[in-house]
Formats: sequence, structure tokens, C-alpha cells
Amino acid sequence: MKNCNFKLLVWRQKGPQEPGKMVAYTVNDISPDMSFLEMMDLLNEDLIKKGEDPIAIDSDCREGICGTCGLVIQGLAHGSKQKTCTCQIYMRDFKDGETITVEPFRSSAFPIIKDLVVNRSALDRIISKGGYVANNIGGAPDANAMPISKETAELALDASSCIGCGACVAACPNSSAALFTGAKISQYAHLPQGSPDRKKRVLEMAQQMDKEGFGNCSNHGECEAVCPQGIKISHIAKMRREFFKASLL
Amino acid sequence: MIYNTIPEGTPLNGKVPAGPIEKKWQSHKASIKLVSPANKKKYTVLVVGSGLAGASAAAALGELGYNVKVFCIHDSPRRAHSIAAQGGINAAKNYPNDNDSVWRLFSDTLKGGDFRAREGNVYRLAELSMAIIDQCVAQGVPFAREYGGFLANRSFGGALVSRTFYARGQTGQQLLLGAYGSLMRQANTGKVQIFPKREMLDLVVGEGKAKGIVVRNLENGQIESYSGHAVIVATGGYSNLYFLSTNAKNCNASAIWRCHRRGAYFANPCFVQIHPTCIPVHGDYQSKLTLMSESLRNDGRMWVPKKQDDKRPPNEIPEEERDYFLERKYPTYGNLVPRDVASRNAKTVCDEGKGVGDTKRAVYLDLSDSLKKFGLKYIEEQYGNLFEMYQRITGEDPYRVPVMKIYPALHYTMGGLWVDYNLMSNIPGLFVLGEANFSDHGANRLGASALMQGLCDGYFVIPYTIGDYLAQTGAGKLSIESTEFKQAEKEIQESVQKLVGKKGKKTVLELHRELGLLMWNQVGMGRNQKSLQTALEGIPQLQKEFQENLIVSGDANHWNKDLESALRLWDYMELAELVSLDALNRAESCGGHFREESQTEEGEALRQDEKFQYVSAWEYQGQGKTPILHKEPLEFEYLKPIKRSYK
Amino acid sequence: MSEKTSTWILWTTIGRKVLLALSGLALFFFLIFHLLGNFTLFVKDPGIFNQYAYTLERMGFILYVMEGLLILTFLVHILDAIFVTLENRKARSSSYYKEGNAGKPSRKSLSSKTMIYTGLLVFAFVVFHVKMFKYGAHYVAQNSNIRDLHRLVVECFKTDYIVISYCIAMILLGLHLRHAFFSAFQSLGIAHPKYTPYIEKLGILFAIAIAGGFLSIPVWIYFH
Repeated sequence: MKNCNFKLLVWRQKGPQEPGKMVAYTVNDISPDMSFLEMMDLLNEDLIKKGEDPIAIDSDCREGICGTCGLVIQGLAHGSKQKTCTCQIYMRDFKDGETITVEPFRSSAFPIIKDLVVNRSALDRIISKGGYVANNIGGAPDANAMPISKETAELALDASSCIGCGACVAACPNSSAALFTGAKISQYAHLPQGSPDRKKRVLEMAQQMDKEGFGNCSNHGECEAVCPQGIKISHIAKMRREFFKASLL
Repeated sequence: MIYNTIPEGTPLNGKVPAGPIEKKWQSHKASIKLVSPANKKKYTVLVVGSGLAGASAAAALGELGYNVKVFCIHDSPRRAHSIAAQGGINAAKNYPNDNDSVWRLFSDTLKGGDFRAREGNVYRLAELSMAIIDQCVAQGVPFAREYGGFLANRSFGGALVSRTFYARGQTGQQLLLGAYGSLMRQANTGKVQIFPKREMLDLVVGEGKAKGIVVRNLENGQIESYSGHAVIVATGGYSNLYFLSTNAKNCNASAIWRCHRRGAYFANPCFVQIHPTCIPVHGDYQSKLTLMSESLRNDGRMWVPKKQDDKRPPNEIPEEERDYFLERKYPTYGNLVPRDVASRNAKTVCDEGKGVGDTKRAVYLDLSDSLKKFGLKYIEEQYGNLFEMYQRITGEDPYRVPVMKIYPALHYTMGGLWVDYNLMSNIPGLFVLGEANFSDHGANRLGASALMQGLCDGYFVIPYTIGDYLAQTGAGKLSIESTEFKQAEKEIQESVQKLVGKKGKKTVLELHRELGLLMWNQVGMGRNQKSLQTALEGIPQLQKEFQENLIVSGDANHWNKDLESALRLWDYMELAELVSLDALNRAESCGGHFREESQTEEGEALRQDEKFQYVSAWEYQGQGKTPILHKEPLEFEYLKPIKRSYK
Repeated sequence: MSEKTSTWILWTTIGRKVLLALSGLALFFFLIFHLLGNFTLFVKDPGIFNQYAYTLERMGFILYVMEGLLILTFLVHILDAIFVTLENRKARSSSYYKEGNAGKPSRKSLSSKTMIYTGLLVFAFVVFHVKMFKYGAHYVAQNSNIRDLHRLVVECFKTDYIVISYCIAMILLGLHLRHAFFSAFQSLGIAHPKYTPYIEKLGILFAIAIAGGFLSIPVWIYFH
């Protein structure tokens, strides 16, 4: 495959309070084996050399597990390839000459820090209200003292594979964090270890989710389709069941 | 830097307690001091880093009642690079009934580290490994299970038993989320305060003790000081010194390096691990390397064409024209030799001109035979996600031609800040945990041991040993208005200001690439006196380039990745000199450190126990000055050093 | 948990959707009964339909209660939906320059994106519809002295613009129901890997059947 040229439309915003706009850039001679973020690195190198302000992007592991990177590419959180993080997108997936739009994860609960970098601490605060088993370190019984069926363990792992990137919020037309919150609640609802504090967990986490200003879940399911881990919205239903049990029973 | 004569300082004592090895930790715990529950709330502990070691330590200390402040460079503590560990975590549970024991885990780890670790520390690690699994399961970490509901185990390199617990290919993630959950629980109670997007830029030492840290707020560039009674540094390793590594982009050496500049000894810096099965470099724009699980070597055969510069595609090269170099050289272990051996041999065949791919720096990992033998379903089940990953990155479909190109890459650093048995550095009050310290893996780390060490340090060692220190130190804090803090802040401000004005021609990324390439070529898988001297002469030139020709964009009061990287790059440049110097000093081959002058006739690593059975701990003397070498002699009472052989 | 939380259970993002789902399902059942009753219009004898309307009318007090409940359900459903929509707008205060569709397994569709609009338009139609028939011309049947609603219906459905607007309204209703049915179950936490796919298919089936059923009446009358 030969090298390609692209036109980029990138969201630029200096700071949280400042207005932003889409700015056009061109990148030339891009190898198809380059990752999307490497292409952005290249553009930034160019901008630095020209004495311009490089585009702020955050990324870390670049292998799709840390959840740091997160861009809306061509209108889709983490791009058009499903079950893939932004950092795992390669330029061979784009057509030569294509115009690519790059925007930050948008949500009122994710204020923009600069350009494409947003603040996702709201998700941490949801976890702090109950995204754990409330036991202290030390004094745990033998790990095999409590058998858990393979199916249950796998279901819990499906839920807990969430990388906390916030793509679900970004893709949701309502900026709902139901998939993120639901996955964590569902993980512990499946496991016997999560049982003692399950009521407190779901009520407090759901309350925090609302407090942060995330929207209502309208069951569009867009979150499931953009989730790099493919977490299903059945976990949202599970959260709702847990919520009813906790508040009605 | 003068490197032909190295000044030697006083020998170090690791303070491993006396007594029989299986009683050391027990008797040590019984003898160290305690802080009363009422007094714990008078102490503040600063924890830098929120990976497995940092998060588990902070959570444990918060639960005990200490005031804890956690600093991480990410926007959330959950993003630390421990999350990327795939394989698993070792523990001597002996659940599979295959005759595993604390002793075996101890001896495998010590042997795997080529007898360059402390016996006492390694034994404690093996001893505590079981409690880690219990703790994690109680936390709701969804480990893989058998149909009967009990935990599943798998085998890993360097061991003859199955003792690795795992959660699909995301064990690190699940363990970290467990520790992160515990941490957030403490954050909710207010015992732990979390400071995200903060990078530690200095350690503040007052009256000879660690009293606080100075950090830079990455969001707005503010320089902030925090005072505490003890500082825990758990900021991981320094693989990114080589630019291309499997580490995350933000992993860096600045925190430990700045501790080193304040007097903390840096131990065994030349011990770095190079992992054999990574996806090869494919262009000079590349930003990082991706690891593929070692498990591929269970069913894959590594080979290169016998002919140099063979341009045919792999499936057109007939069997007799292929060199299965590991099987040829190591008939017993074959493709399952330890990481360092596999890596080195891949390098050797590429050096001989037999490498494959565009860059000629890759070898084949061939799964065709296994595919024929076990069928598609088996391969899909075992390696499906790795095949997908390979295809995503390279654009080649391994299902069509099951021959992948791989090459070794920097992965882990065994070296780090020197600590004693209490995990305290030579600066009282400065504790170093996880990959950031040097303690348990000697010259080579076994697979699935890094997670074990991080959690062991954080959950089960530091909560005890820090109490011993705090009980003996006063409750008085050093004010952040003191000259020590103000001086440190001023120095950082100045170094930042010096950088943001730079209008040279070379970007930080370009210069970092140059440093990485120099280090990879000269202080990589094979080192010799000449290459190390080349490195030691090359690094000052890069430093000069940094000072005279660097360009740094943006300002100091906004999110500025370029400035962050520039600050880190200078520390890498100084550290690179130390790594090279340490490698030059250690004229033996052991574990991941292969000195070409010290090999057997068959080209195997040759350890020289009479001369080098010690830990090298370096004391900083100033920029460009030769550091002082302190030696901590290693004694092996229980397991006598033997030669590793995989023939 | 604290009593405060349980008091406000319906006033959370989860609770509000429960309210929406329950009121929506109630309206859905109303639609089914309404449609089944209206099928009497297909019978040749207009007396059957008039008799059906008269039976309802004769229920008197019970009818008033039921009508009251129906109005209440409508109000809850609509007000809740308006509130939820406004809240969602606030949660996504800045919109994307370009917004794509991630494709399956996403259920985002024209239907799911326009729920508030289709809902409000259908409600506007309901007002118009009630005014037209319940409070429309009061003919008296020739053979008995009950109201000849059938005549009114036929008169209306012979008028072009009424038939066209009915058709449009029913298509909007169908669009609304297409997402509503599955969504109600999901909002109530009723999801299962085995059965959810059927619930989704059933939702589409109902949407077509109900919208098509209601639509068939004016069209049939218009062409007869």
C-alpha cells in the first residue's frame, strides 16, 4: 500500500472556559501502517517545528487497555472500528484523501481541559461511592473457600473488563453513564463477594451518577457498539434490577 | 563522566533479619515497632504512583488510619501501567497439587534472577504470594475458574509447576481495578486524598529524612509542595529510556531519578528485561511497541531463513532452508527457553543478516505445525485475541499465513532505587515499592512475578514496615514554607522556564528517539566494553544537543505534553549514563545483562560470582560527575548459586 | 439505606425511566384495546360499532374513572418525557460537529432519536382526534336512539386531509412504538440474552401491527 494524504478537521480549544472551533490541517505522506495517534504525533511535530501550539491529546498505553486515549473520529467514539480503542486504529482503515473529523469526548460531565483532552474524574467519583467490595486488607479466607461457577466468573469479568475510557458517555446522545456504572454494579451483583453491601452500592453509585450531571439512559445502545470491550447493555438492565431490589425490598 | 576509575563507597547492608529463612519475616514483624491507632491519624504519608504497588499501599495505609495523599500522572489512578500486564500472577498455592511450595517459588524466582537478588526478600515474596490471591479474590477480582468453581492455574516460563492465576489476558487490569477500588473506598472516607495529573519533580529532604515532595500540576502547570512524614515512591520502571518499549507513553524515570539526585542510591540500573515476543518495529514514526503474550511460544516455532537476505515469503521457503535456531541450540527447552535467552538468539541471527521483513530486524514465529496438528479451533481459543491484535497492528492476517514476525523489545527494568528489607531507601522515610525498586527479581524477572511483587509490597509489607519508621520519627512536619521546599520549588521553576523558551531545531521526540536508538544499539541485548564506551561518549553529545538545539512548544501554565516530555528527557539522559556505567562496571553476564566478553564457548551467559556477587548501588555526585559505587554483597545461605542451563 | 433515597426512588435517572416505561406500557395496552374495539368498523352493519361505542358510554362513572386514569397516564408519560429530554440536553451541552452511527449492536435509530417529537406529535393528534369524535357532531342512529358514531367516522374518513393526517400520525405512532416497546422492558431491567432479541423483534412487530391496524381503518373507509 502506498502512503496517503489526509485532511483533518480537529477541535481546538485553548482552555476550559474558552470557545473552541474546528480547525483544518493536512497531513501528507502517511504510511498505512501508522497508527492514528502516530499520525497525530507527526502532525504535532510539524506544528512544534512551525512554532505553533501542538494539539493536546492524551494517550498512554497505546495498546487499548488503559482507557486514557479517547477521540471522536468521524463522529464515532474511538472511530468506526468496533471493540477498538482510539490508539488501536490504523491509517490503513482510511481512504486516501479522506477528510477526517477529530473531536473530544463531549459531555457536560466531562469538561474540556484543552483541545481533545477532557476531565473524566466524574467516573472516579462514581466508583468511590461503591465500585468495590467494602472489606479491609488482611484476614481474607482461602481463595478457594468460596467456589464460584465458571459462568458466573466469566460474566463478572465481562462486566469488569471496562477500561473506564468514557466512550459510552461520549457516544450516548444523552451523555448517560449508565453503561459505565451498570458494568461495575453488575460485576459485584454477579459475585458472592459483592453481596453484603450490594444495596448500599447500587443506591449510592446511582445517586452519584445523577449528581455528576450525566443524562438518562434512553436505551439507544450506542454505548455498547462503541465500547472497546464490547460491554453489553444487559448490564444496565442488571443495574436497574439491583436498584429496584435495593429500593423496594 | 570519567568511567575508567569508579570511586567505591562503603558497603551496604540490606538489613535482612537473622534466623532461619522461613522465620525471618515472622520474627521481623514481631520485633518492629507499632504506631498506636490514636497516633496513626497524626501521620501523613505521601504515595507517588497509583499502580499495583502504589494503589495497594495507599489503600492499606488509609485503612490503618494514616492520612494518605496519592499522586498520579494520569487523570485517574486506574490508568497506571500495571493495567497492561496480560499474563498472570504467581502464587505458591499448590492448588493443582503439582508439588508447588513456598520453597519452590522462592528458588525458581531466585534462580530465574540468576542469583542477583536478596535471598531474604525473595523468600518473603514467595511466602506472602498466597495471601495476595486470597485478598484479591475477597475483593471480587474475577480470576479464571474451573467448571467446579475453583480457581484455575496455568504454567509460565521458568517454572515446572502451574502456579499462575489469571483473568483472561487482562490479569493486570483486574488486579489494578481491585486495588483501585480499595483506594477509592478510602478516598470516599476521606482518609486518602487523590491528586491526579501531578508529576513528582522533587523529593524534599530535611534533617536527612524524606519530608515531602514537589509536584507539577499537569493541567495548569502549577508547582505544588506537599509535606508528609514519609514518602512512598511507586512510579514503575524506566524502560522508556530506550524510547521504544512496551511501556506506556507516560511511564518515566523522573520521580526515581530525582530521588536519586537527592541522595537515594540507584541499584543495578543495567538490569533491564527484553521480551522476545513483540511486534517488530515497522517504521521510524513508531511510538511504542506491543507485546504479545509469551504463551505463543508454547505452540510456535521460531525460525529464520538459512540464507542471508532471503526475500521469499515464509510459506515459500522449504523446510530444509529454514533455521529453527532455538531448537538447534537448545534441544531440551527448544522454543521455551527463558526470555533473555530467546531474545539474545533472535538478535544474533538478525546480526548475521538472516532477519526478515522490511527492516531485517525480525524473526518468524511459526504456528503452522500447531495449526495442522491441533486444528483451527484450538488455535482460535488459545490465541484468537493475539491474532486479532497482530492483524490490527500489522495488517497481516495470521489465520491466512500463520507465520508472524516478532522481535524482542524492552519490557521491564529489574534495577531501581536501592531499598533495604523494610523497602526503605538509604534516605530514611523514603520507601520505594514495585518496579521502582530493585529488590526481588535480581538480573531477570520471571513471567507473572511483577504483579506479585507490586501487590506484596503494597498490601503486606509496607503497612508493617512503615509503622516501624513512623513510630521512631516525630509527629512534626516540615512546613512547605521552609527553605527546603522553597528551594526545591525554585529549582523546578527555573528548569521549566529554561525549557519553555527553547527555540532550537530538534523536537523532544526526535532527541528521545536518538537517545533510545543509541541505548538500544549499544546497551541493548548484547553489551561489550566498546559499545558501552560508545554509549558513554554519545550521551553527553545528546545532552549538549538538548541544551543547545531543543525546541519546546507552548507555555508553562497550560496542559503541555511537550514540556512534560522535555523535563523527563533530561532525566533519561542522565539515567542513560548510569545504566551504561553500571553495565560497564559489571563485566559479567547474568540474566538480562549479557556482556559479550563473559560467555561460555557455546555463547551462553557466564556469571562471575567471585567478582560480581553483589548489588551495585550508585550514589549521585552531580551532573556529569562519576557516581560512587556502594556494594551490597549478596550471600546465599539456603540456595547455592548454580549455572543456568537450558540445553 | 437511608429513607431519603427510597422516597425519591422515582426521582432518579433510573426511576424516571421506570415511570416512563410503566406509563408507556399502560398506554400501549390502551392502544391494543382501542384498536380491537375499532375493528368493529370493518363489520358491514354500522350498528355493531355504534353498539360498542354505546356500551362504553353507558359505563358512566367507571368510564369517567378510566378516562381520568388515561389522562393521568398521558400526563405522567408526557411530562416525564419532557423533563427527561431537557435533562438529557443539559447533559450533552455541546453537540458534535459530525455525529455518526456506530451500527449494530446499537439500537440507535430514527425511531429512538425522535421519541420526544413523535410522542408530542402523536399527543397533538390525540387531542385533535378526541375533539373530532368524542366532541364531534352528535348524529342519532335511525333504528335506535343511540349515537350514530359510525356516520361521523365515515364522513370524516371520506375527507382527504383527515385521512392523510391520520396516516401521518399513525406512521409517527409506529415509529414511536418501534423503540418504545423494547426500551420499556430494558428500562424495567427485563433483559436476558435468550429473550431480549425476541422482545426487540416483538416490538417491531407490534409497531407495524398497531400502526398498520389503525391506519387500515381510514384507508379502508376512504376507498369504500
